[in-house]
Amino acid sequence: MENSARRLPEIGAGPRIAVAVLAASAALASAYGLSLGLRSVASRGSHQQPTPEAWFERPTPSSPAVITQGRALFLSSCAHCHGADATGDEGPDLHDVGVSDRYISNIITFGIKHEMPSFKKKLGHDDIARLTAYIRSLDDAARPGGDLDSTPANLR
Amino acid sequence: MNSENWAKMHGATVHFPIALVLCSGALDGLGFFFPVAAIRRGLHAAGYWTMMLGAAGTVPAVVSGLVMSRGVMLGHDTLRLHHLFAWPAFALIIGLATWRALASEFTARKAPAGYLVMACIAAVLVMAAGYYGGEMMLGH
Repeated sequence: MENSARRLPEIGAGPRIAVAVLAASAALASAYGLSLGLRSVASRGSHQQPTPEAWFERPTPSSPAVITQGRALFLSSCAHCHGADATGDEGPDLHDVGVSDRYISNIITFGIKHEMPSFKKKLGHDDIARLTAYIRSLDDAARPGGDLDSTPANLR
Repeated sequence: MNSENWAKMHGATVHFPIALVLCSGALDGLGFFFPVAAIRRGLHAAGYWTMMLGAAGTVPAVVSGLVMSRGVMLGHDTLRLHHLFAWPAFALIIGLATWRALASEFTARKAPAGYLVMACIAAVLVMAAGYYGGEMMLGH
């Protein structure tokens, strides 16, 4: 090994460092490219698809106070993945999701396999209802000219 | 393959670069100060190959980690801390391995002090990334 190494042409310290930095940058760039591709595939495969259930079910009773409580729960339990403004980060944007309250509640309760944890043990039924009300309020806030009355002013 | 299996794959692959890079730094460090030339050469040859294998081992570790997290490069909380150490460690290990591969005289003589300092930094980054990786798996 040492003999064969000695036969190789000598490379100066400057070019050696430059090539090393280039290789490190290429490695990071490759990882970033792979990350972008994987995120694109993951978002296409998201389970969150609009369903027509919302047309047939009554919405969860809501009020500005309930939505405020839901917002507080959201910040403590959901914001690290969905973003503090619920516009999405690792998890999807939750504005105008177009699904029923039961669907939202089920997702929070049971999670999505390999994508989102279950909150069944962490949150009680009332908390999940508050969170659902908050997420539902984002629908109204998202629509142009939508009904913002149910969304407290400090959350808009 | 689902995320669980990729998580297992990440766990299975990530320990090779951790162990090899730490060993490489230790061998080179020992070789730097060792008085007997023949043993010093042996230590540096071992340091060379452990760094090469460690750098090669980072590739499956990084790929399995990225696939497991569905392409998240930073994330939040402990995952973010893990990544804040893991990505510089990855870049530094690849850079050090490239530097060393190009240094043809390097395998026969002692490692330069600059290389050793960078290898120590890589070792610290790897340990910190491993610590937060362990926190995610075992911590509460």
